[in-house]
Amino acid sequence: MLLWRRERADYETVSAPHPAIALMGASRLFGETVALQPLDLEIARGEIFGLLGPNGSGKTTTLRILATLIRPSGGGANVLGHDVVGEAMEVRRLIGVMPEKPSLYERLTIRDNLAFWADAHSVAEPGRAIDAALEFVGLGGRANERAGQLSKGWKQRVALARAIVHRPPVLLLDEPSSGLDPSAAAAMERMIRELVAQGATVLMNTHRLAEAERLCDRVAILRHGRMLEAGTPRQLRDRLLGGVVRVELAATPDQRLRFTVETTPGVAGVEWRQRAFLARLRDTRTDTPKLVARLVQGGAEVLAVEQAGDLEEAYLELMARTEEPWREKAAA
Amino acid sequence: MSVWTLTPPVRALVRKELREYRQHRMIVLTATILPIAFLVLPVLNLVFYQEGRSVGGVDVAVGQAMFCFFLCPVIIPATMAAFAVIGERDQGTLEPLLTLPLSDGDFLRGKLLAIVVPTVLASVGIYVVYMAFVVAAVHGEVRGPALDPVWPFGFALMTPLLATLSTLVAMAFSARAKDIRVAEHLSGLVLLPLMLPVMLLVTRTIPANVMTWTVFAAVVGACDFMLWRASLRAFDRERAIGA
Repeated sequence: MLLWRRERADYETVSAPHPAIALMGASRLFGETVALQPLDLEIARGEIFGLLGPNGSGKTTTLRILATLIRPSGGGANVLGHDVVGEAMEVRRLIGVMPEKPSLYERLTIRDNLAFWADAHSVAEPGRAIDAALEFVGLGGRANERAGQLSKGWKQRVALARAIVHRPPVLLLDEPSSGLDPSAAAAMERMIRELVAQGATVLMNTHRLAEAERLCDRVAILRHGRMLEAGTPRQLRDRLLGGVVRVELAATPDQRLRFTVETTPGVAGVEWRQRAFLARLRDTRTDTPKLVARLVQGGAEVLAVEQAGDLEEAYLELMARTEEPWREKAAA
Repeated sequence: MSVWTLTPPVRALVRKELREYRQHRMIVLTATILPIAFLVLPVLNLVFYQEGRSVGGVDVAVGQAMFCFFLCPVIIPATMAAFAVIGERDQGTLEPLLTLPLSDGDFLRGKLLAIVVPTVLASVGIYVVYMAFVVAAVHGEVRGPALDPVWPFGFALMTPLLATLSTLVAMAFSARAKDIRVAEHLSGLVLLPLMLPVMLLVTRTIPANVMTWTVFAAVVGACDFMLWRASLRAFDRERAIGA
């Protein structure tokens, strides 16, 4: 179901040169506590960007700054070129926000919940917009049920429908699949992907690293209000896990094939197993095809090539690496 | 922009508030039982009035009745307004609500209108029923003072102003208190002394005439205006969401 195209075209005319989201040294203090250290980040239109990090790392603070709920203590932030402080009203028209908890008016029906949002955004044909949003999240026949009677998973869907009812070009999702069972989480993931395919830009916080790896074009890992790493999940894996790939062969490699592998450009090290090996590559994106080509030229039958480790391992590695300095700092 | 300006987002907020109030048992009870009580008490007071046996004479009987009607726009908004901010915060809806294209003024205006309008309608409604009852059923000796035009004049003038004052005070506490009951009690403490001039007027301690009602309305109107400006200045989104 097409929800975005027309709106998006309007916004592109207004602010074409701007990225969807830009944080320029945005920081936030709560009293003397640093919730967010100066953060620079640009998120392109049509991108799904994930903010990862432990609790208290500054993810929600970042989302709240962009949602105009709190002001940055320093620096600035823009949504489609509009300043979140000076043009807060314009920013609010451009964003759809889904908080971690569904936060619905539980005494009201699903339709009434969405009607409020549609009317507040002056949606031209609110009835059609509500029906389209509910249809999109799979709640087409349940508009007149009370929101309070729904399960957590369905409430999350209503919260998503509410966030998209005015067809915003930028979606800010705070842990969209938090507390959902695997099938509900998969449905949420599918819906987010579909929204982006229709033109929306998504910035989401999540603790589900596998989900972030599947869904996000880029992620940033925050800790203690500081951005530690940012890039595509693959770049982060390469950077943090050293770009290690696991290659499985049909037969045990002979000396000649081993020599071929070890002398392939881009291969920094090899660890041999019986019918497999782990190769540390300088850049997995460009070096993996070269390695596979050399193997095939050398007569090997390659059964599988996979990235050794996933985003979760990369994340844990980063957490482990950054734990000590923070402890020392805290102790000092 | 006037306090009564109805932009589409403000209209949306008013509609949402009214829908929510209708579903909230405590608010429905407050908004129905109190006006009924405030109607029944004055009616009984006049029905059972007996010249020479009722203390204070007919003017006091009518004054007591009028005091009930003037209490209505002060007491009804307290519960609704206490719920206005704390209720949103308690159910977690305040944060998403504040991401809507509503300025601070729009937010307060929507909340204010959703309380003041039904309060004024309920207050005027029971007063109209009372007047009809007086015309139809009360004997002549009481009817004259009860239908004195100074009362409907004062009531029409004061009801929206008192309802606005009560709502703004209760909302100010609602934005800061953590519990609805605390907000209700604190606003009650502030509002009850403000009823003293009303009491002096309805008991004719101060002569109730067009001039005194107008002066009183001007004072309450000025308080409303100052409180509105102060509420706008004091409204802090970050504090409201507990950031």
